[in-house]
Amino acid sequence: MVENNNKPILQLKDISKTYSSKTSFLGGCGKEIVALNHISLKIFKGEIFGLVGESGSGKTTAGRLIVKLEKPAAGKIFLNGNEITGLTGKVLKDFRLKVQMIFQDPYQSLNPQLSIYDTVSEPLHIHNIENVQARKYLVIQALKSAGLTPPDDFLHRYPHQLSGGQRQRVAIARAMILKPKFVIADEPTSMLDASISAHIFNILLEMREKLGTTFLFISHSLAAARYLCDRIAVIYRGNLVEIGPGDAVIQKPKHPYTQALLDALPKFGHWDEVRRYDTLLKAERDTYQDEGCPFFDRCKVAHKEKCSRERPHLTAAGDSHSVACFYA
Amino acid sequence: MALLEVENLSIGYHSQKGYLHAVEDISFSLEAGKSFGFVGESGCGKTTLGIALMRLLPPNGVIGEGRILFEGKDLLKKSDEEMRGIRWKKIAMIFQAAMNALNPVHRVEDQIVEAILAHDLMHSKEEAMKQVEDLFVLVGIPKDRMRDYPHQYSGGMKQRAIIAMAMACRPTLMIADEPTTALDVIVQDQILGEIKSLQEKYKISIIFISHDISIVSDVCDNIGVMYAGQLVEYGDKVEVFSSPAHPYTKALLSSYPTVTGEKYKLEPIAGEPPNLINPPSGCRFCHRCPSAGVSCKTESPVWFELTPTHRAFCSYIR
Repeated sequence: MVENNNKPILQLKDISKTYSSKTSFLGGCGKEIVALNHISLKIFKGEIFGLVGESGSGKTTAGRLIVKLEKPAAGKIFLNGNEITGLTGKVLKDFRLKVQMIFQDPYQSLNPQLSIYDTVSEPLHIHNIENVQARKYLVIQALKSAGLTPPDDFLHRYPHQLSGGQRQRVAIARAMILKPKFVIADEPTSMLDASISAHIFNILLEMREKLGTTFLFISHSLAAARYLCDRIAVIYRGNLVEIGPGDAVIQKPKHPYTQALLDALPKFGHWDEVRRYDTLLKAERDTYQDEGCPFFDRCKVAHKEKCSRERPHLTAAGDSHSVACFYA
Repeated sequence: MALLEVENLSIGYHSQKGYLHAVEDISFSLEAGKSFGFVGESGCGKTTLGIALMRLLPPNGVIGEGRILFEGKDLLKKSDEEMRGIRWKKIAMIFQAAMNALNPVHRVEDQIVEAILAHDLMHSKEEAMKQVEDLFVLVGIPKDRMRDYPHQYSGGMKQRAIIAMAMACRPTLMIADEPTTALDVIVQDQILGEIKSLQEKYKISIIFISHDISIVSDVCDNIGVMYAGQLVEYGDKVEVFSSPAHPYTKALLSSYPTVTGEKYKLEPIAGEPPNLINPPSGCRFCHRCPSAGVSCKTESPVWFELTPTHRAFCSYIR
C-alpha cells in the first residue's frame, strides 16, 4: 500500500557486514563473523518499519550502518536516492541533520554531566541553528512533544535525577529536535516497564503523525513490532527471512523461524492451549557456512537434502509479503 | 497446611531521605507443589519481598512486622545459624541477572561443586562432581561443556547453570526473580519449560517474580499484583487476568501489546507511582486511577472478595 505511491526514503542494496572475532594473544587469527549477509530492503516515507530478531541476529548492526557508526563490508545505502555509503566532511554533517538514532539504554546514552537543556539543545549547537532564545523555545517544544511536562521542570535537571522512562523521553527529544526525516529506534523500550513502553510507543506514533518522520524500529519483541509497525522484516543470523505487512507477518507467518518466534511467546489469555516448549531443534552450527539455508539445522520442516545445499532467496509470497524458504 | 504462609509482612529501608516503605502488609500463602507469581512494575517491592523471604536484605533493610511461616515455623524467629541451614537447602533463589553472577575466572563445574561442598551436602569432591553431572543433564547442558568457563557459555546456558546450582540441594521452595529477563524469546521459552518440568518432577513450590504478565501467567497457578509496595489483587491466574477487578490490574493489562487477537490502542497509565518515603494516605493508586472516588484519597481501601479464590484491594468494586 505504501509502496505504490512512494519512492523509498531509505534503501539498502546488498549490504554485508563481517566482523572478525578477537585474535588470540598467541597469534592465531580470528574467525570471520557474518553480521549481515546481503541484505536488501526499502523503507518508504512515513512508515514505521520493524526489524525483528534475536540478539546477535544483526539487527542493531543494520541500524548502526544506516547512521554511519559502522561501515559496510559490501553494498550500498541510499537516502532519498543519494548514496550515503562514502560520505565525509560537510556532506556527512548535513546527512546527520536528516538521520537520527534513539539508543536502547537510556542509562548509557545520556551524558551525566550535561543538564537536560544542554543535552537536548546540543544538536542545535552542533549544526549552528538559531539563537539562544529560539533554541530554548525549540527545546521546550521538543520536551513537550516527548511527553515531559511541564518542560520547565526538566530543563535544569540532570539525567541521574530522572527515571528510566523520563531519560528515554529526553533521548527522544534530543533525536527529534532537528526534525529528522528518518529515525532509527534501537530497542527503545526494552529496559522499561510496560506502561512506560506503551507511552513511548504512543509518542513515536504521534511524531510520525505530526512530522511525517519515517522510523526504523529495531526490536526483539514481536508484540511491540506488531503494535507499531506498518511493515516487519524478520532477520535470522544476518539474513532476512521474511518481510511483509505487520499484521500479515504476525498473524500469518510464512517462514518457519517467524513461526517459531511466535510459538515461543507465552500465550497470554489462552488458558486452555497446551504449551509447547520445543519450538526449535536445538542443534546449532557455530561456524558460518555459505551453503544452504541459514536456518536449516534448527528448522522442523526443513527438507534436509535440499535445504542443506541450496540457499532460499526472498521471493514474493502474496501481497507485498516475501519469504526466504522453499517450503513456505 | 500451606508450605509457605506470609502474614502481614512489612519491609522498609533506611535511606538518607528517610524510611522507605518498600513492602507493606502483604499476606499470601503457597501450597506445596504450586507456583505463585508476583507481577508489578519496577519499584513496586517484588524483589524486596523475594529477598526478604530468604532473609537476605541489605544492612539498611528492615522487616518491620509480620510473619513468614515456612513449613509452619516462623523464619523471622530463626537465628542466623538456623537460617543458613535453610537457605539453599530448603529455599533456593535465582537472583535477577543471576547469569552475571558466575565467577569468570573459575570453571562452571568447579563453582557448583564448591557450592555443594560448602553446604555439606556431599563429603567428597567426586560425589559432588557426579551430582553436578546429573544436574547438568537435568537442565539440558551437554556434559562436555561442564569444564568450560562462564564466558564460553551463551546467556541461556549461564541461566541454566544457575538453575542447576539452585536445584543442587533439591529445595522445597524456589524463588525465581526475573529468571528470563534479558534472554531471547526462544531461550526464554526453553528456560520456562525447564523450570516447569523440574517443578513437576520434584514437586517444588515456586515463587516467580516478573514484570511480564504473560510469563507469570504462563508459569504460575496463583497471581499477586503489586503496586507501590502493596498487594492490590490476588487470586487464581485465570480469574485475575480474565476478569481483573482492581483498576491497576486493568490498566496494566491494557498497556501490554499482544500478538494475538484484535490490535488495540495501548493505554499507558498516566502519572508516576507515589514516593514511598512519604506514601499518600488512602489508596496509593488513587491519583492515577480513572475510577477513583472522593474517599479514595483519605480512606485506606479494603479487601473485596470477588470469589473465594479472587480478591482485590479496592473500595470501589461492586
